[in-house]
Amino acid sequence: MMGATYTTASSVEDAVAAMAAGARPVAGGTDLVVGARQGKKPLPQALVGIHKIPGLDGIGESDGGLVLGALVTHSALVSHPIVRGRFTGLADASAIVGSHATRANGTIGGNLMNASPAMDTGAPLLCMGATVELAGPGGRRTIGLDELWAGPGQLSASADELLVSVNIPAPSPGTGSAYVRLQYRRQMEIAVVGAAAVVTLGGGAVMDARIAITALAPTIHRVPDAEAALVGGPPDEARVDAAAAAAAAAARPIGDVRASVEYRRAMAVVMARRAIMTAVARASGQDMAIPASDSTYGS
Amino acid sequence: MTIAEKPFIRPDGKEKVTGVGRYTADMNLTGQLYAKFRYSDHPHARIVRIDTSRAKAVPGVLAVLTHEDVPDVLYGGMVQDRRLFAKEKVRWEGDVIAGIAARTAAIAEEAAALIEVEYEVLDPLPDFAANMDAGASLVHEDWETYGADDSLDRSGNTLGHSSIVKGDADSAMAGADVVVKSRFVADASQGAPIEPRAILAQWHGDRVTVWSSTQVPFAARSGVAHTLDMPESHVRVVVPLLGGGFGSKCDFHFEAHVAALAKAAKRPVKLVFSRHEEFVAPDHRREGMVIELETGANRDGTLVSRRGTLRLDKGAYCGEGGFFAQMAAMHACGPYKIQNISVDSYLNYSTNQPSSSIRAPTAPQTCWAVEQHMDQVAEAIGMDPAELRRRTLIAEGDEGPAGQIFDPIGIKETLEAALDMIGYGKELPDDEAIGVACGWWPSFGVPSGAYVKLNGDGTGTIITGAMESGTGAVMGLPLLAAEVLGMSPEDFSITYQDTDAGPWDMGSSGSQTTFNNGRAVIEAAKEVREKLLDMAADELEAHRDDLELVGGAVQVKGSPGTSVTIADLAGSGEPILGKGSGDVPEAPEVEASACVGRLGMESFLAPQLITHAARVKLDRSTGVVRVLEFAAAHDSGVIINRIGADGQVYGGVMMGIGQALSEMTMFDQDGRQRNPGLLDYKLQTVSDAPKIDIRWIEVDTPNAGPKGSKGVGEPPSVPTSGAIGNAIAKLVGRHVDRLPMTPERVWETMHTEGE
Ligand SMILES: Cc1cc2nc3c(=O)[nH]c(=O)nc-3n(C[C@H](O)[C@H](O)[C@H](O)COP(=O)(O)OP(=O)(O)OC[C@H]3O[C@@H](n4cnc5c(N)ncnc54)[C@H](O)[C@@H]3O)c2cc1C
Repeated sequence: MMGATYTTASSVEDAVAAMAAGARPVAGGTDLVVGARQGKKPLPQALVGIHKIPGLDGIGESDGGLVLGALVTHSALVSHPIVRGRFTGLADASAIVGSHATRANGTIGGNLMNASPAMDTGAPLLCMGATVELAGPGGRRTIGLDELWAGPGQLSASADELLVSVNIPAPSPGTGSAYVRLQYRRQMEIAVVGAAAVVTLGGGAVMDARIAITALAPTIHRVPDAEAALVGGPPDEARVDAAAAAAAAAARPIGDVRASVEYRRAMAVVMARRAIMTAVARASGQDMAIPASDSTYGS
Repeated sequence: MTIAEKPFIRPDGKEKVTGVGRYTADMNLTGQLYAKFRYSDHPHARIVRIDTSRAKAVPGVLAVLTHEDVPDVLYGGMVQDRRLFAKEKVRWEGDVIAGIAARTAAIAEEAAALIEVEYEVLDPLPDFAANMDAGASLVHEDWETYGADDSLDRSGNTLGHSSIVKGDADSAMAGADVVVKSRFVADASQGAPIEPRAILAQWHGDRVTVWSSTQVPFAARSGVAHTLDMPESHVRVVVPLLGGGFGSKCDFHFEAHVAALAKAAKRPVKLVFSRHEEFVAPDHRREGMVIELETGANRDGTLVSRRGTLRLDKGAYCGEGGFFAQMAAMHACGPYKIQNISVDSYLNYSTNQPSSSIRAPTAPQTCWAVEQHMDQVAEAIGMDPAELRRRTLIAEGDEGPAGQIFDPIGIKETLEAALDMIGYGKELPDDEAIGVACGWWPSFGVPSGAYVKLNGDGTGTIITGAMESGTGAVMGLPLLAAEVLGMSPEDFSITYQDTDAGPWDMGSSGSQTTFNNGRAVIEAAKEVREKLLDMAADELEAHRDDLELVGGAVQVKGSPGTSVTIADLAGSGEPILGKGSGDVPEAPEVEASACVGRLGMESFLAPQLITHAARVKLDRSTGVVRVLEFAAAHDSGVIINRIGADGQVYGGVMMGIGQALSEMTMFDQDGRQRNPGLLDYKLQTVSDAPKIDIRWIEVDTPNAGPKGSKGVGEPPSVPTSGAIGNAIAKLVGRHVDRLPMTPERVWETMHTEGE
């Protein structure tokens, strides 16, 4: 670790300047530092701490949508009434990140910028149509999450762009959302298979549906076939099954120490079905426990 | 009947949970260097050449050692099959080829990578069951020349074969109403202590002090002396606070490597393992097993015959674990009345990480198989599995597998208690079920010693060779001394975990600390008592026989006014010191000449008996199983400190649940670990813990430990996975035949056809 440097940024501009000079930002450090200690990737030579930048840890409302500062932690998200009430799928995700300690330190910015195909907040945010605001040396720009992720651990953002905020548009009336993952134990898990759904109901029929799968492809992505299968009629068993099957069909699972290809594929159907059913229940006004991963267990 | 009137909470608890406590890795010495190892690059290979010149040339490197730099000595508790540094061959991915001491850990690591090793790569031999086939390549070509325990029945890759033979199993089987056959496979798992091991060594002249995170300081001392060819008295092993072991820190491990590096570098040297090394490098993990069982039963539940073949993975080297074949064979019989028995058990070498004692070695896996097999027998004869156990569990006067006649024991009472606590038979939702399993574990009678001295302020100090690895020495020993001396347990400090201080002790293994060292402490305290009575008789001008020790004073019986405090007596300047060891209880004699590979475990001394019952819930879509409620009923004899005993059960049950559902070391085709880290080696978390109800069946046990106590530490993990397995089988309709019963395996069992 000879010649390693660490500075603390006190503004977005500070951070971007340090990043332009080659430093990597570190927020909660729960990916970066823990990964380095595990020997995944060595710590970068130059680090810039962004955790003290003022104004980046707020959860604000705008036009019925949400603006999340990059430094908002998972525990802040889970305990926020508006997130729980109208962006429930995001609360489902943040509620199951790591352990209490991980949630208290890990940030939404770090989760998204780590670009892991197993990140939990990715699928619900993608389905909610969230965009991120990036600040770079040349100014700021806003892009969608599908544009942001380029592969496992890879971003389309350049190394000197700081994620400043996440913007989630207002959901239409009659919308419910959910995120569900397969969990072998109750804490300290990593998504082996996950799925999110955002469903809008109107007059008893599915007016709009967004379905995304987690840890089943190089990046988290939506599955248009699954969405199409759900829309256009009541969310009955046939529609839900067809949508879940379509979501699983889009999976390109790998086999590793966590699960075989066959098991992942079979679980993709189960998780997709549970996410859809929970989102439908919430869209029709039912109160479903957060996180949905625990409460839909056994269904 | 418990002797602690109020709970005596471990005195070392506060420093441990508040982060003030100091562990080996926290220690530093002036001028200290950092050690790293170069591990084998192949699981199985012949070493052609080792060139350390580039490593030695790295600035900051002060010592590089290979087999050439230490005495050419073979070591190993039961088979001497190993060297400190690999010489002719490497036999598993964690074999140590060289050690480096350097100014920083980073330099040592860089140098380790620069050591050039030329190999002739050999086919790995990870299949421990196939390794005993005729014509299999040998892990140890020279096995016949090795020194070994005389009682081990060795042959080729089998380093220990044991059999339990009683009556005529074959003809009895032929006459049984039903015969049930099963085959189970258990994967390897780990002790996974939270503290990765650390060692620090410093020489003074020709003597060395080694601070080590070991559970067995005296065995570590012997190992250093033997491998470095020096007198034991020149080696002092000290253990700072120990951050868990669960058996994985039993045996001599790396103390000599670090001592040799410190000697060569002429500086103190410190080794601290990474989490990855803590998984891959120790020669201790729980053994994988292939278990084949066959039972002949009559419709009334009589178990007329049991045949069994067990194959166990010893991995590359023996260490202290050579007794596994016999221990597993005893567990293949279990605490049941079985009329005829023929069980053969084989402990085989492979090119996997060596296995050795992890909490109740061989028992949880064997018990998991046997208890599921028992449920299959019950099903075959159409009897409730609890009723089958009720009819077949042993009681006082029954005959054990190799002919031992049992003293009073409470296994039947544990069954009833567990059924009662869990509410066996109660109405359950259709995704829940209750499973029950019974098991046993012996107590081990071994010599042990202690001193008790009184301090001038009226407090006492226990000086012992015993170890504390979370096992409870810090609670049990003061309680026992205090009772003899009419003092309170808080009045005692302990000087321990230092081979230069206390007498020899086996260490924190075999659930034996209170059992043996407790006896020694009582003996030592009694000597102190005699001395106090003599002194007080003089002082009070009373007859010794009229005196008693109460509340920190010696008084004339029934007249507290005529007394002298222990502080006054101890403060007089006269040293008051007692020593003791006590008579070691021995297991009942048995006539077991038909049994092969007898190592003394064919008879269980003061057996500890257990029934576990688990209520589980199955997610039928995913195979995920959650344990919702757990009942643990134990006969560990008389309980000395309830809070300490309960703690062992809580921890043991959680370890057992982990082993049942999630903990496994996965090997690739060549025998390399695929999940050597806490991300993918899935321990249970506190959030997974069910409600655990405990009941102690306090059978007053003759020929046992202090006060009629037995051991407590290992049994709580023994039948746990069997109980969970039986519950899962009720929900799935078939038994899951692989351990751990992971969600994927449960799901597979639900989606594949039965035989
Ligand atoms: C024990 C444990 C359990 C975990 N469990 C889960 C889990 O269940 N689900 C899950 O999704 N994740 C999990 N994680 C991963 C991690 O905690 C989350 O991804 C967390 O949100 C990361 O946030 P952070 O602030 O700690 O990121 P950091 O480690 O600080 O950063 C992560 C990456 O993002 C970059 N970065 C951070 N902030 C910004 C920014 N504002 N702009 C640009 N780049 C940025 C960093 O340079 C780095 O590359 C777990 C981690 C641990 C240690």
